[in-house]
Amino acid sequence: MHGVRTGLHVCRGNWSRQEDVLLTGDYTPLLPAFRNMHVDQFVLEYATPRAGELRVVGEALGGRELGLGCVNPRTDDAEDPATIVARAGEALQYFRPEAIFLNPDCGFGCFANRCVNEESHAVAKLHSMVAAARVLRERFA
Amino acid sequence: MFEVTQVGSWPRSRDLLRALRDKQQGRMTRDEFERVADAEVRRCVEHQVAAGVDVVVDGEQRRDNFYSFVTDKLDGTRLMSLAEMLDTVEDKAAFEEMLATLDVPASAIRNPTCTGRLQRREPLAVGELRFVQQLTDRPVKVALPGPYLLTRSMWVGAYTRKVYRDKTEMGDDVVRILREELQDLRDAGAAFVQFDEPVLTEVVMSEDCNRRTFM
Repeated sequence: MHGVRTGLHVCRGNWSRQEDVLLTGDYTPLLPAFRNMHVDQFVLEYATPRAGELRVVGEALGGRELGLGCVNPRTDDAEDPATIVARAGEALQYFRPEAIFLNPDCGFGCFANRCVNEESHAVAKLHSMVAAARVLRERFA
Repeated sequence: MFEVTQVGSWPRSRDLLRALRDKQQGRMTRDEFERVADAEVRRCVEHQVAAGVDVVVDGEQRRDNFYSFVTDKLDGTRLMSLAEMLDTVEDKAAFEEMLATLDVPASAIRNPTCTGRLQRREPLAVGELRFVQQLTDRPVKVALPGPYLLTRSMWVGAYTRKVYRDKTEMGDDVVRILREELQDLRDAGAAFVQFDEPVLTEVVMSEDCNRRTFM
């Protein structure tokens, strides 16, 4: 749609901190559906190994935008900006710098009574993403 | 390039959870609840601006969850806990086992069950957007539940079959409502509208894709 950026967010569940009850697998089975969707950006999980390789979506949908999930909303410790920079470096093999957004894998509290994190940790994770974005912009400006 | 944003939701404070419970149990008016939520959204946006986030969200502080909140906005819906829904599920044992296996608390997660013809009483998220726009000049992202998630969760046969022939007929109304909402959000100046479809992975990755999912 003209005049607004549209996105599709697909994750594997965000209701529990037990990673083993959340689903595992890359996005291969969803690629045919993704290709047919008229959205600008795919907002996807890539902060945990459960999500599979970036290559799967990169090779199929490199012409679109990627909302790169780069911090885990369900853990206490903020990710090192260097780790986020490295992940974005992988995404750059398939997407232009302008087409890459940095975001957490999912929300920090999708269910009011079952929030997966607390505010101080969420704030620290925002700071990590912003620090990573600064490094990336200097490198690719 | 490398714009920083969020997927949408932010942790809730104790004050907000208490207010949400009071509203849901009729002990607090909607206006009173919105005043509590306003303060929470303000703090959430301040954190994002201070951190240097490029595209901000309201943290979904006014929402019970990212899709059940539509019951506040749509005619023909009723907020039901999964525990309440259990009464209507054909295979109760299997549903309970699924909730236990997945570590889903049946009383804490609520569903937007379709109990009548669906119609927007008010926009789903334009109010959320306008409030954030008062707080910052930064671009704003709004998340909406996707059409598949809404159709799948809202259809609870025991209630919905009385008003819609099948999921497809109800789904057409869901799509119409989301289209109208997307246009309204664009016209109100949203920079980014994101549709959430977490259940898609469950459909393609779990062994039995026809079972009742909790979403």
